Amino acid sequence: MTSELHSRLLAFGLIVAGLMVFLHKTVTYDYPIFPDATRTVWNLEILIEFAADNRPVRIETFLPAQSDDRELVDEQFYSGPFGLRLDQEGEGTNRKAIWTYRYPEGPKVLRYRTTLVEEGRDTPLPESMRREGRSVDLTFETSLEQQAFLVWMSDLRRRSADKETLVDLMLQEVFSPTFSDEVAALVQPLPAPLGRLELARTILETQGVPARIANGVILDDARRRAETVSWLEYHLDGKDQRYFPIGKPSVFFPIWYGLEELVVAEGITELSTQLSLQPARLVGGSMLANGAGSKDPLLTLFSFEELPLTTQLVYQVLVTIPIGILILVFLRQFVGIQTLGTFMPVLIGIAFRETALLTGLLLFSLLIGLGLALRFYLERLKLLLVPRLAVVLVFIVLCMAFITTLTVDSGFRIGLSISLFPMVILTMTIERMSIVWEEYDGAEAMKQGLGSLVVACLTYLAMTHPQVEYMMFNFPELLIVVMGLCLLMGRYMGMRLSELRRFRELSRAD
Amino acid sequence: MRLLKAAAELRRKGILGLNERNLRLVGELNPRHLMRLVNDKSITKRLAVSAGIPTPDLIGTIRTSWEMRYLSDMLAHPGGVAIKPANGSQGNGILVITNPIKGGYRLANGARIDYGDLRFHVMNILSGMHSLGGLPDTALIEQRVRFAGIFDDVSFKGVPDIRIIVLKGVPILAMLRLPTAVSDGKANLHKGGVGVGLDLVTGASKLGMQHDKMIDHHPDTGHGLSGLYTPHWDEMLLMAARAYDVTKLGYLGADIVLDAERGPLLLELNGRPGIAIQVANRFGLRPHIEPVLARDTSVMSLEDRIAFGKEIYRAIHAGTESA
Repeated sequence: MTSELHSRLLAFGLIVAGLMVFLHKTVTYDYPIFPDATRTVWNLEILIEFAADNRPVRIETFLPAQSDDRELVDEQFYSGPFGLRLDQEGEGTNRKAIWTYRYPEGPKVLRYRTTLVEEGRDTPLPESMRREGRSVDLTFETSLEQQAFLVWMSDLRRRSADKETLVDLMLQEVFSPTFSDEVAALVQPLPAPLGRLELARTILETQGVPARIANGVILDDARRRAETVSWLEYHLDGKDQRYFPIGKPSVFFPIWYGLEELVVAEGITELSTQLSLQPARLVGGSMLANGAGSKDPLLTLFSFEELPLTTQLVYQVLVTIPIGILILVFLRQFVGIQTLGTFMPVLIGIAFRETALLTGLLLFSLLIGLGLALRFYLERLKLLLVPRLAVVLVFIVLCMAFITTLTVDSGFRIGLSISLFPMVILTMTIERMSIVWEEYDGAEAMKQGLGSLVVACLTYLAMTHPQVEYMMFNFPELLIVVMGLCLLMGRYMGMRLSELRRFRELSRAD
Repeated sequence: MRLLKAAAELRRKGILGLNERNLRLVGELNPRHLMRLVNDKSITKRLAVSAGIPTPDLIGTIRTSWEMRYLSDMLAHPGGVAIKPANGSQGNGILVITNPIKGGYRLANGARIDYGDLRFHVMNILSGMHSLGGLPDTALIEQRVRFAGIFDDVSFKGVPDIRIIVLKGVPILAMLRLPTAVSDGKANLHKGGVGVGLDLVTGASKLGMQHDKMIDHHPDTGHGLSGLYTPHWDEMLLMAARAYDVTKLGYLGADIVLDAERGPLLLELNGRPGIAIQVANRFGLRPHIEPVLARDTSVMSLEDRIAFGKEIYRAIHAGTESA
C-alpha cells in the first residue's frame, strides 16, 4: 500500500502548506476573512488598444479629476514607450492624459488604473456650480429655431407655477420618447442622450440655473466592459440635482464633463476602449491600506493584486471553479449521483453565471427539451453521427435566437443574458441523454439529466457565493488545500450513499 | 444513524463498493494498456482463438462505410448472425438476426427489421455511437449462438449467459444472467436481467436478483431459479481461468454462453466487471478476494488456480450450501 501512504502524505502536505500561507496572511498581516460589507471602494481601469502604422500618434483620454473632496488612490499608468502628459483643464473639473509617440508600429496597449471612492446623490456639487448664474441669452442659427424656442418657453411658463416645476416639466418633455415639434427643432444632432442633455442644459442656463453634463460610470456590479453614461447636474433653489436619462442609480462616478468623447485619437486605426470596474472588497480594502504586499514575497506570490483589472476579473471566476469541482467529486464518490458526462454539470453551473439560477434552469430545460424532440425526429432520417450533432447545434442556436427576440419584445431580459450559454455543452447533453434514453429508458435519461441539473445548481450556488468568491480570490493558496482534499477523496474506498440503497437487501442484519 | 448501521452491516458482510473496486481491483490489477485487449472484441476473439478458447465464429468485420457493400453477403450466413460494435460496452448496440425474411430480416426477439434500418445501425456503430468515448468503431458480424435449451424455462426471449469473475487467474464467483421481458432479450443486469448466483464448486444455481432486489422465481416464466445444474461447468471455469493467461488482466469478468452444438463459447471479456454479482450471490466479494490477493498466483498452474478458487469458496460457504 505504498501508493496509499504516498498519496496521503502528499495530500496532508498540500493541505498543511496551503493553510500555513492562509494563516500567515490572516494572523501576521491581519487580512480580513470576511468581505467588507460597505463596499465603497472601486477599482477602475481604462484600457486603450489600437493599431499604429508608423505615423505620429496622439491619444487623449479623460481621467477622473482630483480635488479636495475627491481622492484617487494608487493611480497607475501603463504607457509603454509613449510619452505621457497630464493636463488639468480650467477650474480643475476635467483632467486629461495625453499619450504621444512619433513612430509607433503594430498593436499597442495603454492603460490607466486607479482606486476610487464611489459617489452618490448626496455628493455635493462643486462651489462653482452653486453660484446663481445670470440668465444667458441664446443665439439661434435659424429663425425657425428661435421661433420654436419662444413658443415652447412661453408654453412651459404658462403651464408651470415656478422655476422648479418649469424645470421638471422641461426635462420631462425633452426626455419623453416622442417629443413635440418645438423640441425636435431644437435638439442638436449629437450621439444619443447628449443632444437632449445639451438642450436641457442650455434651457437651464437661460433660466439662470447652473448646469453641466457629466459623463461617467454607474457602480452597480463588477464589470469587464462598463458603459459610460451621461447625465445632467444642476443646482436649483439651493439644492444639488442630478437628472439621469435612464434609471435612477444610487452610486456612480463622474469621470469628465462636457460633450467630448472619452478618448480622442489621432494617427491610429482600430481603436478599442475598455472600461472595467471591480468592487475593491474583492481586493480587500485593508490589504491595500497597510501595503504589506510589497515586503513579503509570499504575499505577492499568492495574490492577484498586481494583475491588470480585466485579468483579475477573469481569475475571480476561474478560482471558484475548483470549488465546484470539489463538490462534484464529493457528490460522485461519496453520494454516487449519476450525471451525464464527468465535468459537464460544473460547466452547466458556470453557464448559469450568465443567466442567474432560475432563468438558467428554465432555459436549460427548455432547450434540452426542444433539442431532444428534434433528436428523436432526426432518428427517423438516419443521419451519420457528426452531421446529426451539427444539425442539433444549429437548431439550438436558432432556438436561442428565437427566445432572445421573443423575450426582448415582451420586456423580459432573459434572452439578452443567454448569448454565451454554451451551445456545445447543450448539444452534447442532448446527444448523451438521447442515447441513454434509447439504450435504457426515459426514466434513466431523466434521472441522469436531473442528477446533472442538481449538481449544476449546487456547484453554481457554491461558486457564486460571495464568501467563497472572496476567500478564493484573496487567498488563492486555498487552491492547494482543494487539491489536497481531492487527493484524499481519490483514495476513498468506502461505500457510496447510493450503494447503501442499492445493497439494502444485503444490509439487513440476519 | 440508520445509514451508519447499514454501512457497518455491509462492511461486516464484506460487500465491495464501486470506489473500492475501482481502486483495489481495476486500478491495481488491470494496467490501462492491457484494457485494450478486452475493450476491443476483435482483439479478444483473436487472443481467445490462439489460446484454444472456443468463441462464436467471426463471419466478417466492417471497418469503413465502403465495406458496407459486403454487409448483405455477411447477413446471408446460414443460422443467423449477431452484429456487435467492437468497442461496445454493457451490451449496447448488439443486434441479433435469426434469418432473412421478405424485404428484411427477422430479429431474435421476433421483430422484423428493414435492410435500410440495419445499414443505419451499422453506420451508427462505425461512427462510434456505441463505443467508449465516441471514437469511430468497427462492426463485428459473428455466428449467432444457438442456445442449449437448458435454461429455457428461466429465460424470456434472448441470451442467457454465465459470468465468471476471475481474480489473478483464480475463478472466485459466478452467476447466471437471464434475460427478461424488461431487459429486451439482453442478460445485462442494469437493463433488468435476472442474476442468479452459481455455486462455484458445482455450478448449481441458487437464488436470484433483479433490479437489486432478491427473487426466487423468474419474473416472466414463473419458474424457480434454484437447483439448475450448469452443464460443462469445469470446462467453463477452465475457459475463464485461461482468459487470464492471454490477457494478464488481474480482475476479469468472462461472459460465457452455451451453444447447442459447440458447447460453452466465450462471448466476451470485461475489464471492469460490476459488483451486482454480490446481490445475485447474496454475499460480499471481499472474503473471496483477500486470500487470492495475499497469494502469488503467477507460479500456479491452471488446474491449481481453479482448485484454489473452489477451495476458498468451499471454506467460506461450508455450512450454508449443503441445503
